Amino acid sequence: MKTFPLQIVKPTGVSFEGEAESLVVRTVGGDVGILAGHTDYVTPLGMGTARITAEGQTRYAACIGGLLCVSGGSVKLVATSFEWEDEIDIPRANASAERARSVLDDKEHHTEAELALAEARLKRALVRTGVRHF
Amino acid sequence: MSGASEKALKTRIRSMRSTRQITKAMEMVAASKLHGAQQRAIASRPYFETLYGVMQDLSLRRADLPSPYTQTREGDKVCCIVIAGDRGLAGGYNGNVLKLAYAEMENKASLVLPIGKKAAEFFRSRKIPSLTDRYDEAGAIEVGDCFTIARLLCDEYRSGKFDRLLLAYTNFASVLVQTPAVLPLLPLTRETSNGAATAAVLYEPDSESVFDAIVPEYLGGVLYGALCESVASEQAARRTAMDSATKNADEMIDRLSLQYNRARQGAITQEITEIVAGAES
Repeated sequence: MKTFPLQIVKPTGVSFEGEAESLVVRTVGGDVGILAGHTDYVTPLGMGTARITAEGQTRYAACIGGLLCVSGGSVKLVATSFEWEDEIDIPRANASAERARSVLDDKEHHTEAELALAEARLKRALVRTGVRHF
Repeated sequence: MSGASEKALKTRIRSMRSTRQITKAMEMVAASKLHGAQQRAIASRPYFETLYGVMQDLSLRRADLPSPYTQTREGDKVCCIVIAGDRGLAGGYNGNVLKLAYAEMENKASLVLPIGKKAAEFFRSRKIPSLTDRYDEAGAIEVGDCFTIARLLCDEYRSGKFDRLLLAYTNFASVLVQTPAVLPLLPLTRETSNGAATAAVLYEPDSESVFDAIVPEYLGGVLYGALCESVASEQAARRTAMDSATKNADEMIDRLSLQYNRARQGAITQEITEIVAGAES
């Protein structure tokens, strides 16, 4: 299968660098698949599962925020948070979801900013615990 | 008389030894922290460089993009993010970056967003209002906080609370060289387009919202990068400062020991002279 150069970077380092066969990632408008020969393309990312196929192997990751940029055939995924499936700290995500839920259940005693923060936290935790294979 | 000076010298040597112990310990702590901070700073660079590249690319292709982030405003109200350390005893690290930031803000209507206890104290004593004091501990800030700060700054910028955004931090050039710098962040200045690079690019949903979504991301990335650089610089500066303090203490202990031994010898010689003189008479 034809490949394209893919680079996945996040603030704490580089997650992937090399030739890839396909990339599926959740953008703000829904899942988008990239194959070799894609036209130049820029879009902000949403929160969801990312699927990367390289050297015949398919891997999944939790990808949150950032942007996807295709330029001259090479693809750059600049993520705010990107964790391969095996790097995700599931107990931590579960605990975080639990804490966020308890804040959201108790709406009277929290400010709007705190509720928004809890909601964002819950969403991130759900993305991390809900990496699905497709 | 000589007995008294001997005792005074002994006390000084003892106090110098305990100071040396402290500076030596601080140097070693800084050296081990420096290793981690340096790794973090290096790891954050590709992310920032890619983000910056995409940003430049985007603004080059669409030089006419109407965005609140690119328009220069009439007003002259400055907001400066200042990253300094939580503790002193790091040579010129805190002083240099604070002095540079203050020069930018002096005699202007300005706001500050201090990061690090030393920065917060400095601007509080100079009565410069701060945007928020929530982040006055530089050591406790993580990636997520940088993006929260970036979103806050974007909101405040769009609401017109300030017209220019600056970032004062310390660049980690090497273990021995750290240079403070002030970086203008908003409004975004773009390098002028040469008419090239106008290939069709697909933006989803559209170029304007892509641009507006990227700006907070970009600021967060820059902030995180600057924070990593600053933390590494702080540890390097502290290590160097404590290394020279330890060397100075060593020198001083040597000198005082010599003085002490001379005084002791002098006292013994004097005593012998007195005994001999007493026996002869």
